[in-house]
Amino acid sequence: MKHTQKKNINSISNKANMPTVKVKYSIGLTLLLIFSLQLNAQKDRKLTFVGGARSILNNGRLIVNDSIPDTTTVKRNEGGYALIDLGVNIKPNKNTEIMGMFRIKNNFGGFWGSGVSFDVRQLWIKGIVGNVLRYQLGDLNLKQSKFTLYNHHADQIDSLPAIFNLQQNIVNYERFYMNNNTWRMQGANVDFGLTFSKFLKEINFTAFLTRLNATNFANVSDRLMNAYSVQLVKNNHLALTGHTNTIFDVNGTTNNKNLFNNSVNSIEWKYENKLKTDNAYSFAGEFGNSHYYYSADTLAPRLSDYFIHAFAQMKLKKMNLMATVGYLNVGADFRSIGAQSKDVNYNAQPVYFNRYTNTQVIRPTTLFDVISNENIYSRTINSNFMSGSQLFNNVLPYGLATFNRVGAYLKLNYKNKKELMANAEYYNLSEIRGQGTTALKQFAIYKVNVNVPFHKLFNLKRTLSIQAATNMQMANRKGNEAIEDVDLKMMQTTVGLRWEFSPNFELIGGMINQTNKGNDFSADRNAYTEVTYFQLNNYNLTQQITAVGLRYNFTPKIYLCALYQQSNYQDKKQNNANFKMNQFGLIYNIIL
Amino acid sequence: MKYKIHLFALITLALFACRKDKSKVDGPSITEIFSDFKVAETFKCSKDSVNFNKGETAFFTARFNKIVKWTITIQGNTSKAVKIINGESKVIDASNSSWNGSTTVFPMFAKEFCLAKLTIKDVTDSFTTNVRISNTKKLEGVIVADFETGLNAKWTRFAQSGANMDFQIKTDAFAPQGKSYLNMAGTVNWDYLIGLIDFPANAYSAAPTLPLPTNPESVYFNCLIYGVNNTNTSLVLFQFKEDENGDGIINANNEDEYDYQITVDWVGWKLISIRYADIVTLVNGNPAAAKGNALHNPDKIGKISMLHLANPNNGFASSKLDLMMFTLNKPLEP
Repeated sequence: MKHTQKKNINSISNKANMPTVKVKYSIGLTLLLIFSLQLNAQKDRKLTFVGGARSILNNGRLIVNDSIPDTTTVKRNEGGYALIDLGVNIKPNKNTEIMGMFRIKNNFGGFWGSGVSFDVRQLWIKGIVGNVLRYQLGDLNLKQSKFTLYNHHADQIDSLPAIFNLQQNIVNYERFYMNNNTWRMQGANVDFGLTFSKFLKEINFTAFLTRLNATNFANVSDRLMNAYSVQLVKNNHLALTGHTNTIFDVNGTTNNKNLFNNSVNSIEWKYENKLKTDNAYSFAGEFGNSHYYYSADTLAPRLSDYFIHAFAQMKLKKMNLMATVGYLNVGADFRSIGAQSKDVNYNAQPVYFNRYTNTQVIRPTTLFDVISNENIYSRTINSNFMSGSQLFNNVLPYGLATFNRVGAYLKLNYKNKKELMANAEYYNLSEIRGQGTTALKQFAIYKVNVNVPFHKLFNLKRTLSIQAATNMQMANRKGNEAIEDVDLKMMQTTVGLRWEFSPNFELIGGMINQTNKGNDFSADRNAYTEVTYFQLNNYNLTQQITAVGLRYNFTPKIYLCALYQQSNYQDKKQNNANFKMNQFGLIYNIIL
Repeated sequence: MKYKIHLFALITLALFACRKDKSKVDGPSITEIFSDFKVAETFKCSKDSVNFNKGETAFFTARFNKIVKWTITIQGNTSKAVKIINGESKVIDASNSSWNGSTTVFPMFAKEFCLAKLTIKDVTDSFTTNVRISNTKKLEGVIVADFETGLNAKWTRFAQSGANMDFQIKTDAFAPQGKSYLNMAGTVNWDYLIGLIDFPANAYSAAPTLPLPTNPESVYFNCLIYGVNNTNTSLVLFQFKEDENGDGIINANNEDEYDYQITVDWVGWKLISIRYADIVTLVNGNPAAAKGNALHNPDKIGKISMLHLANPNNGFASSKLDLMMFTLNKPLEP
């Protein structure tokens, strides 16, 4: 047996660290300037300055189509901000690294103190003890398994055209969604690995402790997350991982003796092998259970349930095809705050034209906000239950960790050497326990996503690619009484274009259309996540965003782009007044 | 062969995992929620007459065909006191509508007839029933001042000589409890202090400290304060001065004083309650370190000072005070 060697801190796979410069794109229809500094980038220097900067100018217009003309709302919005993230990376020795990053932000119109804010954007220390144990203190980007701690991004569109990705990537940077599916947390993380010559190939151990919320010294106790994972790698084919994740109130941090606890335990497995034909197959999955309770509240339920997720995957190399068939079973009382926290907070108000109509009602959260509004996104997990939106994901609002779902899914992924890509997904799910009735809802998701790189298919010199996708969700219930019936459909279509019509000049464009039609019930839940009431929602809603832009690429990392975007919100049920938002902007983007 | 074994294991796992939980349903019945409202059992009170002074309670009953959000509003015919009970259920019974004579909107109830009115959300009809209070609720705790018998001779009263000054006990229909209360008003443009009253422990017993238990977690201080409409904001400051060595002398330099300052920014009577353990030491309105043993000792309170304050630049300020008292284990439920 020997320790896994960690020769230098630079060799650490840095899952808890944010890259030095990650601003790859910026908001469409705004003027965006990004540049970054990386001084003394040589590996052996002890002091490195890292950072980035961004400037945004907004030019937007709101058009409200209400039964009573809206004479109250200010219809134009021009503004923006400039910010700089300046970080100092210190390596006092080869096994220690310290990072501190400050943000200076100035809203346009303010100067010398007015509108200027100073924040600490990130602060961490990491290193290696005895060439064996890696540790990190401070800011951490963490994930475990899909059922213990995972940012599912359940409501983000996973087939966004490139022009909308400009905006989505700003959200990702601002909310630290830098390493896929992680949550930004604060605490301490340690991990180490052991390798063996017999019986086992290696054992990897990871543990962390983070603080979710601080005590107010009166009635809100300190709430922590304590988790660890142990991975046993038998050989190149088989690996088993055990996860434990516990969120708990710390006794004694207040006089409140009613302490919350949510623990999730699971085992993940993966077996993969190759066939003689050069094809490969794998079986993988996870099963486990959860417990959710308050120690002294007699009104609070003690919820316990289990889940199973298993899938088989076949890679057919000659056909460039990968097929996956999976089974999902997540109990109605399965609760995992780490995996069931949502990135989109639908209770947050949009800051851009946040009120409208003569009565100044709050503008509903729309497709435009989900794509580009960083203010509705959460930085870290929420220690309370977060509700979802029936408009954006009614079937799996918490990703695979959505409770009360059982069923199967099928995925087909095709990608050839010329990067012609086609993906298809089908989910067929059902509730396990009825909601307000013994009748169960049935769910289905159909997804198709195609990317055609004509320039590679026909050996063109310049880029010409088209991307198209559709996502259809359905929820149905045939109730015992007609009032219990549910029939809700969501259809989302995206189309994107990227055409280099002259050397380094690109035309980029995209369109997203989403319709929600039908009825469904949404559950009101109390603080213990119990259903207390149902609201009947009727939808006949169409949302559309169209964007077109011209981009000049100075280098692969420097470009200038002009964009125009229109978004349209039409609610035929008149639950909310119809409106349009038009925006124009310029993007200047540099990554050093 | 391995492939088949794994496929078999997967299918077996899936079959084992199949489940439908038809024995349970989450939440209230949708059929009930969205059906038309009907009364299955009329609205009644459990008693025609209730003596709250003896610890009796009354409750209301009704039954509907579905879960509804309901409100029972009980109003005294004479006092106009109001008690409001809210709930969301299909059945109204002792578990969710019990009334012990307490008050939601002051003044407090008197010996009188009351009308109880049941209203239901999204239902236009309302339902009524009557109940008589034969005796009012007993106030349990240590009463510092209810002003019913005038100023205690051992209290010390001081009022500035400003304009429109009033620092007197009044007996009129404003009284939220009993018949009297302390009216505090005036314009003092040179000082925050308008007036104060010291309540020394020896006004209540021969001992130098108040007869309270030792555990500050179990002791609550309560009072009723009235905010007057269209006047400047009053500050009511309570100072709890502990006589830690029991010598009958309050020494501000080496004995604890805990302060609770209330900004009266509402209109009407309001119940103020705070646990003694949650009261901090203030210096010029800011938290500061206690000067004695830094332990909350309710059993060592030697004197309570009540100060009526206002910003001297603002002009006339006014508020009213009644029913200063300590309760045990829970806030006052008047």
